[in-house]
Amino acid sequence: MVQDVMKKFHEAAVSPRAQMDKYMAEGKKIVLTAPVYTPEELIHSMGFVPMGAWGADMELNRSKEYFPAFLCSIVQSILELGIKGAYKGASAIVIPSLCDTLKTLGENWKYAVDDIKFIPMTYPQNRKPDYGIAFTKAGYERVIRDLEALGGKYDPAALAESIKVYNRHNAVMRQLDETLAAHPEITAAERSDIFKSAYFMTKEEHTALVEEFLSELGEAGEEKIGIVVSGILTDAPQLNEIFDEFGMHIVADDVAAQSRQYRTDAPEMDDPLQALAVKFANMDNCSVLYNVKKPRVQWIVDTAKARNAKGVVVVMTKFCDPEEFDYVMIKKACEKADLPLALVEVDRQMVHFEQVRTNLETFRDMLTM
Amino acid sequence: MITLGIDIGSTTSKCVLMKDGSEILTYSLRIGGLGTEGPEEALEELWNKTEYTPDQVDRTIVTGYGRNKYEGADGEVSELTCHALGGRFVFPEMRTLIDIGGQDAKIISLSDSGRMSNFVMNDKCAAGTGRFLDVMANILRMDIDELDECAAKSENPASISSTCTVFAESEVISQLANGVSRPDLVAGICESVASRVSALARRAGVVPQVCMSGGVAKNNAVRNALAKSLETEIDTDPMAQYFGAIGAALYGYRQLQKNKDNK
Repeated sequence: MVQDVMKKFHEAAVSPRAQMDKYMAEGKKIVLTAPVYTPEELIHSMGFVPMGAWGADMELNRSKEYFPAFLCSIVQSILELGIKGAYKGASAIVIPSLCDTLKTLGENWKYAVDDIKFIPMTYPQNRKPDYGIAFTKAGYERVIRDLEALGGKYDPAALAESIKVYNRHNAVMRQLDETLAAHPEITAAERSDIFKSAYFMTKEEHTALVEEFLSELGEAGEEKIGIVVSGILTDAPQLNEIFDEFGMHIVADDVAAQSRQYRTDAPEMDDPLQALAVKFANMDNCSVLYNVKKPRVQWIVDTAKARNAKGVVVVMTKFCDPEEFDYVMIKKACEKADLPLALVEVDRQMVHFEQVRTNLETFRDMLTM
Repeated sequence: MITLGIDIGSTTSKCVLMKDGSEILTYSLRIGGLGTEGPEEALEELWNKTEYTPDQVDRTIVTGYGRNKYEGADGEVSELTCHALGGRFVFPEMRTLIDIGGQDAKIISLSDSGRMSNFVMNDKCAAGTGRFLDVMANILRMDIDELDECAAKSENPASISSTCTVFAESEVISQLANGVSRPDLVAGICESVASRVSALARRAGVVPQVCMSGGVAKNNAVRNALAKSLETEIDTDPMAQYFGAIGAALYGYRQLQKNKDNK
């Protein structure tokens, strides 16, 4: 039954601590992976369980000892959880350097959470040229050294196998995204659970569960208002409830915590570490991946058209500079393409979603009246 | 067909009774919005002003900040949708509506045919709203309705540089201590609201005919400063505060028509 599988996604999505405890009870070591892109394949190949650390919806107190208030609340909540012991037992956290705020997270983590080792992953701004690929590879080698210090063992053959596991998961998630575009009966909240649970399960388990879900999916439900959602994170239950309340069907997403993770596979190469660096070079269409031509903007428009979306909803995480820079271009491109666009602002500390509700209710009216 | 529109805002409640989506039968406004007796009082006043009775109403639609908590309506609609409908009813050529209410500011763009094409809302900040004027009037120990007349006497409007209401409050107190005249301060306060809202309006795009609604539309100083900043005329109407309620009544009428057509 689809609902039985959905329940498993939901349980994993809302209980990361239980998942972590389960893996630790099996004798496995946990390595946390901070947004936006970390070399999970590498962590996996060295015998650790990578678990996403994208923070949580919560009140922020302790993190303010290290951060000013006007800073991305995702990053602040990761540190808050770290200080309060929510990640206790994890061996390390890998924090990439993909935005200025993430850089400060790593530096503050060293002092604020001394029982979980901080492993930096420094990516190059220019990732596509050979020297950029070499820089990325050197960053991965640093991660390997740090993981070896925690008892991990690097083996190229094991990495090649892990790459296969992750590429298979990527393919399944892309299939899921395409399939859900034709299934309005799967709610925004359920869609969010499927994507979110991927961070708290091994990729082998998640792949199997998504495949089971896809095989059991029934006939498509009644048509709703198709939208493309763009942003860093869209997992707030209240936000998804609003999408569902107003009959909005997410036919595609450009969300960093969702489909952006699964667009690019590592190629098959003799040196798997080189393949992983090439994968990062090949990634694109994301606010934190530098590209002067900003292909992401047209990607959103083209995807919306291809999936027959009625409009685009940009879910802006407050104080996210990379997303705010791109928004202006996205807005202009959507206007040019005659594609209605709504902007809603969210953050991890939000309790009242009335402003978002009014905004999306009006957008629904705009699309249907 | 008789439809009733109720607009429960953050500071006032408005009701409009309409016939066949084309004629305003009567209307009422009471101070007190969400969480007060305002909506009930406004309704009571409305029924006292007309021979129509509640049982003659074919459809009631509620809008505004307090719409979700009101239980006596057949449906609820967002205030932006209603302001667009109500504004266009009063101004058939309207393309841009600037609504400054007690707690927020909204800019609505309409296509040539009257379809809502874009909108922008301010976010959880009192600056650029009626609340900002309220706070400032309180510091100056004035009634909010006196601000307009006082600003008209200004010769050299003061510069209120703080965009935050709390900081602006301190700034106004400092300027008072430095001997800046009340009219200059009030004019500066009104210009500050206009400056915030004009930036918001430019984000949505400003196409004439530009109209203004909400309680702040009654303040000529804010309206004139906005017109100057946006380099366009801004029209308003004595019914501007009722655009939301008119829109709600019109929305109810449209629903009835749609139901009739579907039968």
